[in-house]
Amino acid sequence: MSPSFLKISNLSVAYEQVYALRDFSCNVEEGRITALVGSNGAGKTTFLRTLSGLLEAKQGVIEFDNADITYLPSHKRVEAGLTMVPEGRLIFPDFTVEQNLKIGAVSKRALGQVEDSLENSYKIFPKLDQRRHQLGGTLSGGEQQMLALARGMMACPRLLMLDEPTLGLAPLISDAIFEMVVHLKQIGITILIVEQDVNRTLQIADNAYVLENGVSIMEGTAREILTDPKVRESYMGI
Amino acid sequence: MDSLLSPQLLAAAMITGVLYALISLGLNLVYGTMRLLNVAHGDLVMIGAYVAFIAFSLLNIGPLVSMFGAALICGFLGWLSYKCVFQRLLSNGQLLSRLEENSLLLFFALSVIIQNLAILFFSADRRGYEYLSAIVEIGDVRLTGARLTVLIVGAVISAAVVFFLRFSLFGLAMNALIQNRDASAIVGINVDRVQMSSLIFGFGITGLAGALISMMEPISPVMGFPYTMSAFVIIILGGLGNLWGGFLAGLLLGVLEVYGVALTGPEWRSVLVYGIFVLILIFRPQGLLGSGKTAR
Ligand SMILES: Nc1ncnc2c1ncn2[C@@H]1O[C@H](COP(=O)(O)OP(=O)(O)O)[C@@H](O)[C@H]1O
Ligand SMILES: [Mg+2]
Repeated sequence: MSPSFLKISNLSVAYEQVYALRDFSCNVEEGRITALVGSNGAGKTTFLRTLSGLLEAKQGVIEFDNADITYLPSHKRVEAGLTMVPEGRLIFPDFTVEQNLKIGAVSKRALGQVEDSLENSYKIFPKLDQRRHQLGGTLSGGEQQMLALARGMMACPRLLMLDEPTLGLAPLISDAIFEMVVHLKQIGITILIVEQDVNRTLQIADNAYVLENGVSIMEGTAREILTDPKVRESYMGI
Repeated sequence: MDSLLSPQLLAAAMITGVLYALISLGLNLVYGTMRLLNVAHGDLVMIGAYVAFIAFSLLNIGPLVSMFGAALICGFLGWLSYKCVFQRLLSNGQLLSRLEENSLLLFFALSVIIQNLAILFFSADRRGYEYLSAIVEIGDVRLTGARLTVLIVGAVISAAVVFFLRFSLFGLAMNALIQNRDASAIVGINVDRVQMSSLIFGFGITGLAGALISMMEPISPVMGFPYTMSAFVIIILGGLGNLWGGFLAGLLLGVLEVYGVALTGPEWRSVLVYGIFVLILIFRPQGLLGSGKTAR
């Protein structure tokens, strides 16, 4: 296991001239769940969007598997095995469930096994199987999140980045999503997760970073962060 | 009244409809994938028509061959404008947000330049050539060989294009890009390449349609503008960025125009087309079929 699976060094990102992320460094270890927590507007989404190539870094270096990917276009990152399940899901509303899944396997690394992946998705998410010919835009919030997750899996990722996967979902469905994340780790996929449910996220995570106003204020094992009195007070209301 | 039900008129409506469907599909692809308002779109029809005219009168090459040349030349223009202008604008977030307005001005200028160049080279005269002008009779329908050929070739190419967009992975990627740019990037679509291909493809099929038109009608440097207008009416009718809706709306406008003109007279053509345009904008701005919202 290489310690520098995904390594971010001194990353800064800005909208126009306003910095949303400053001098942030972090390590995502292979095979682990790394959590990123912090209040609204802390810069978590900005970070994930930069990792997937939707935003450009102002400064800093992103290395994946020892290759510098800081300025690589998005599709090449997917090609390398880096996939994001974005905040707000961003599924394709005018595509059927099946088309949404198929387009998830558009990159070369995934295209060869698209039929297997499809079958696998339907096995993991029987709900999607029932609705394979329904338009994405007509699914419920929970179903859309399942679809976004399944679409991400279609790319055969080595690292899956999840941005608030349980936001706005009923507790029962959130449970299913957290179980799914643990399952993904068990089948060997590295996870980087951003979540507002700090408590539950830290319980399933291995390592964690706390972000505040675009700056990292704490890092450590998830257990350390979970038991930190300041974190408990600020993010869990305990 | 029975002339309105004549197969003759139906054939005319289908010819116009198929050509409109092709031309507006080109415009819709370019708008849908990049939000470029190409008001020079009809000038591509003109360029395609002149390619066919020159090929026929100077090189003795028939339009059924030169239409592919027209497609290539217009496709090349698409590639050129992508490489010279749009690639840079589309890859910069700040410029991207103003691209729709800017593209309108840019293409307007381009349209003026193209038309003036065409007048300079070919004069403003209307031109044409004789090709398959003998009358063919099929049942009750009498039409020139050229028009029959346009109908058949136009229908085959339309079917091929629709099939490609619907069932190929590349068509799926284009459709994805039309729906959401960020989502397309994160699933691994090479957005840059799909954008470039849409411009090449959209310009190309429009040039091809222009070559077909030159078989039936006299051509001139300013022939493009009515096609620009019709194409915009069609893609708004079908829902901006909705390829399938636009295609059907193209057929529909062809029928409305041909039947409308048959009922009134050719001088009413623009009143009809612009009238439909205004009515849609008032009563169904999201288009007849579209749910309307295309996410950026
Ligand atoms: N498109 C944008 N333009 C300008 N500022 C933005 C944009 N998106 C986010 N921001 C700002 O960047 C900061 C970080 O936002 P974000 O990364 O979305 O935080 P989080 O995901 O942690 O809630 C916030 O102050 C937010 O207002
Ligand atoms: Mg966020």
